[in-house]
Amino acid sequence: MDFRFSEDQLTLAEGVRDYLTGTHGPEVLRRLDEAGPRDPAIWQGLVDMGLTGLLVPEEHGGLGMGLVEAALIAAECGRACLAEPLVDTAFVGVPWLLSQGQTDGLADVVAGTRKLAPAHAINPWVADGEGEALVSVDPLRQLTARPATVSDDPHLLNLGALMSAAQLVGLADAMLHQAVEYAKIRTQFGQPIGAFQGIKHQLASCSVAIEFAKPVVWRAAAAMQDGLDSAAAHVSHAKLAASDAAMLTAETAIQVHGAMGYTYEVDLHFWMKRSWALCGAWGDRAFHLKRIDEAVLGGSLPIGPEHTFA
Amino acid sequence: MQLQYTPEQQAFRAEVRAWMEAHVPKEPLVTLECREGYDQHVEWERTLASGNWGMVTWPEAYGGRGLDLIQWLIFEEEYFRAGGPNRANQNGIFLLGPTIMEFGTEEQKARFLTPMAKGEVIWAQAWSEPGAGSDMAAIQSKAVRDGDHYVITGQKTWSSRAAFADWGFGIFRTDPDSKRHKGLTFILFDMNSPGITRRPIRQLHGDTGFAELFFDEVRVPVENCLAGEGQGWNVAMATAGFERGLMLRSPGRFQATAKRLVELYRQHADHAAPSAREAVVQAWGAAQAYAYNTYAVAAKIMAGGKIGAEASLNKIFWSELDRSMHRTAMQLLGAAAELKRFDDGRINQWLEGYIFSLSGPIYAGSNEVQRNITAERLLGLPRVGAG
Ligand SMILES: Cc1cc2nc3c(=O)[nH]c(=O)nc-3n(C[C@H](O)[C@H](O)[C@H](O)COP(=O)(O)OP(=O)(O)OC[C@H]3O[C@@H](n4cnc5c(N)ncnc54)[C@H](O)[C@@H]3O)c2cc1C
Repeated sequence: MDFRFSEDQLTLAEGVRDYLTGTHGPEVLRRLDEAGPRDPAIWQGLVDMGLTGLLVPEEHGGLGMGLVEAALIAAECGRACLAEPLVDTAFVGVPWLLSQGQTDGLADVVAGTRKLAPAHAINPWVADGEGEALVSVDPLRQLTARPATVSDDPHLLNLGALMSAAQLVGLADAMLHQAVEYAKIRTQFGQPIGAFQGIKHQLASCSVAIEFAKPVVWRAAAAMQDGLDSAAAHVSHAKLAASDAAMLTAETAIQVHGAMGYTYEVDLHFWMKRSWALCGAWGDRAFHLKRIDEAVLGGSLPIGPEHTFA
Repeated sequence: MQLQYTPEQQAFRAEVRAWMEAHVPKEPLVTLECREGYDQHVEWERTLASGNWGMVTWPEAYGGRGLDLIQWLIFEEEYFRAGGPNRANQNGIFLLGPTIMEFGTEEQKARFLTPMAKGEVIWAQAWSEPGAGSDMAAIQSKAVRDGDHYVITGQKTWSSRAAFADWGFGIFRTDPDSKRHKGLTFILFDMNSPGITRRPIRQLHGDTGFAELFFDEVRVPVENCLAGEGQGWNVAMATAGFERGLMLRSPGRFQATAKRLVELYRQHADHAAPSAREAVVQAWGAAQAYAYNTYAVAAKIMAGGKIGAEASLNKIFWSELDRSMHRTAMQLLGAAAELKRFDDGRINQWLEGYIFSLSGPIYAGSNEVQRNITAERLLGLPRVGAG
């Protein structure tokens, strides 16, 4: 029993964070918004870091890592508001193909020449798919209409929901950070607004929500990786906790920015819109609440102090 | 990240479970906040000690079992699974004990820890004063050095269980010219020393859970001072860290409440509001989240890390969770919520729990203060104008 990331896992996540901080800052988001949301150079950078092959078994040329590492990196993708379909391809699509015993073409995924756009009945769209275009509120999302036949495999749904939850905690972290930085520099009444308790306490409440959503996400990732029967309930718990934390933080962050927050000019909107999108994606709040409800009130999940890791 | 128990941990769980099932009183004890209940709870501390369960993480030399924090969490889970009573000595074992372990001399450890673990000496915390609540640096009660004694004069208040406790640990101003955080000293005293008057205070529920303490030239030997004169603030902050960060409220307590809430919901499902249903589901989720976080903190400490200002997040989280779980229970009970005993004679523990849960966001540093700490120390917001 050791609820910690290993040094290797932390080093990996830090490496991704540093890389994205250096190459994928807000100016890049603005450029993508102007010039079109996908950029082969950004994609190639992710491929070169080995991230497309993170979950691909070593015998197929990947790194052979697990969902816990993938969730940690998905959180970094959320933090950077990454537009490229890395999470869908490498952390949702790949493990789903593997679960189906499909290993053909994985080398192309590793090489970055094949992207996956997992389609599921729960979503009324496909992200980075090929059909007729749909317009998302998030200017960096590329949605297309759902094809006539799509999977309704719960395992795929769980992967999508888990990785959305992981991105949401990263998004929430980033929004909190932006609001805090703004609160330090914006002055009114002769002092930084961050010195007002009305601002401090709202931001502190976001911190509570985020810090208590994270371990739920990591636990859900471990539950899926370990193949627990209860994994679906834990994924739903993660999606609910992460969505609620992200929504709270988004609303708080815009409030702290005042009218600036209501502009297209302040970068916050990219993170906020991605959060709205991912909160509804791969099972919305009602869907996941109901799944937890069925497990907890329905009695299929053992509950109580002795069942922390059931 | 490895979330399975080892066979040894599972065996330990089985051992605790068997003992708890054999020993935890079948009927809930009378509330700890009155004489009769206090005596019952002290009796229970001694029963626990007879099984060597007083404080499992402490070294064997001090009445413990030398176990690690994961085993402590397992112990706590089983304790609350079995419906174990509140710990009469929680201020001793969870607050003062770890503080003595960190700051005490070998002589102090030998003298105070074992009787604490064995439930022979029950401790009260005497920090708050009428003029020093959240603003603890405003403490005025003073301890004046006189040879090998301190002479204490002043007033403390809100001291839990002080109406009945054996010993107290307080913070006193030893330097009369000092201001605020400086010149304070952490002193342990016998509650039966001449010159101490205890005045019990009735709490919201009507019982005398805490007391005011008046010190009139109370003589305390200097060797009862912890970590040296003038170190009081630093020591107190460490104690507060233990209180908020890990020990005081272990997750099992809230997981047990969440489970009881699920059971209560099932009994009242036919007339429950959809919002209450969601609140019940969220209660389970939040109690689990708190447990995961605690396992993460435990793992961090076991690897040599420390809990810093993030202890404030814990304190906010558990206290607001506890209040919301009990509020939901009150809603589910509807018109029966006000009854102190239900018509079948059972004590309405939800009502007692709800009342107590209202104090959670106040004691151990109010949640407003915890949000200040979070904003300033974790988020780095400026302190000016904090008020
Ligand atoms: C059940 C219970 C048990 C207790 N047991 C003990 C005990 O055993 N030993 C002991 O020493 N004390 C004990 N206390 C006292 C407790 O530590 C204090 O109540 C607490 O520190 C708050 O102080 P106060 O009550 O004076 O409230 P105040 O400090 O007067 O606060 C009143 C309100 O003002 C707010 N406030 C104060 N300062 C700020 C600020 N800077 N920013 C924003 N808001 C602020 C508070 O959050 C609160 O909402 C106990 C209290 C309770 C309720």
